Amino acid sequence: MTMRRRELIGASLIERFCDWLSATQISVAFQSVNWFVPLVQTAHIISISILLTSVYVVSFRLIGLSKGIQPLATVAARLTPWIWASLCVLLATGMLLTITEPARELLNWVFRTKMLLVLLLAAILAGVQLRLRRSPEYWSESPARTRAGQAIGLLCVAIGACIVIAGRWIAYV
Amino acid sequence: MSSVLTWLQNLNFPTQIRESEWLFPTIETVHVLALVLLVGSIMTVDLRLLGLANRERPFSEVAGEMLPWTRRAFAVAALAGFLMFSSKALTYYGDIPFRFKMLCLLLAGANMLFFHSIGTRRLQEWDSGKAPLPAKLAGGTSLLLWISIVALGRWVGFTT
Repeated sequence: MTMRRRELIGASLIERFCDWLSATQISVAFQSVNWFVPLVQTAHIISISILLTSVYVVSFRLIGLSKGIQPLATVAARLTPWIWASLCVLLATGMLLTITEPARELLNWVFRTKMLLVLLLAAILAGVQLRLRRSPEYWSESPARTRAGQAIGLLCVAIGACIVIAGRWIAYV
Repeated sequence: MSSVLTWLQNLNFPTQIRESEWLFPTIETVHVLALVLLVGSIMTVDLRLLGLANRERPFSEVAGEMLPWTRRAFAVAALAGFLMFSSKALTYYGDIPFRFKMLCLLLAGANMLFFHSIGTRRLQEWDSGKAPLPAKLAGGTSLLLWISIVALGRWVGFTT
């Protein structure tokens, strides 16, 4: 499998990119400081804590598993800046980790799957938020909408968990 | 102490965790998922106490919404953490970052007790507004302790 993959031009390009990146001054500098990776990972974990908790609060409301005092649109509007800000910090810290150890991330299929899941979750969240902004009752206007909201909420919970699971398993695959 | 730890790590399940290729990463993943929700929910409460988030909502509403997440996530994280500990009890016991992490957890517990006994006095007076200084201090202390616990936990992973 790896032999066949190495023959593909795309894979070898990424491999060459990893070799180049890990030899750059900035990557070498990060690699030489032994507390750099744990420190950046800590910031990464704190950010995922904010992101996942925010996503779960909104998702559980969509599913109907929790009943808050505030209406769903208010909750979503309150959490929107936290969700996107934490996502930005996650991308920034994730890039620092990738610069430090390019091959560990970019050549890893778990990492690639994780990135696809992040894009998918961001798209779904943006969709849910935009609909709520246009019409605060959007997800409770009809039984069909409620069911769709429940399905989307469940999907967000599952994708969010998979992103964290994938994040941990990058180290083991 | 070391005889107790040796006994613990030689029990059936800890041995299985140590010898299996996938058990430890799986339990660790459960630990991470739980701690992410634990830290996210408790930080929401801490930031409300500090007046940095949810200022327009009563404290009791924020705490009532978030603390059930904190409690459940803590139970899961503690159980998964204990299982990880049991698989290499002697190693973890001798690890300095691990000891500091346990100390911070104790302090976080003490801080919580302090807040619930002194910090919530006359809650009705400030529930909808600014938290008084003792409550703010408890929130700030909790925030710092939990960030330290995450950092130390990550450090344990690099030293054991």
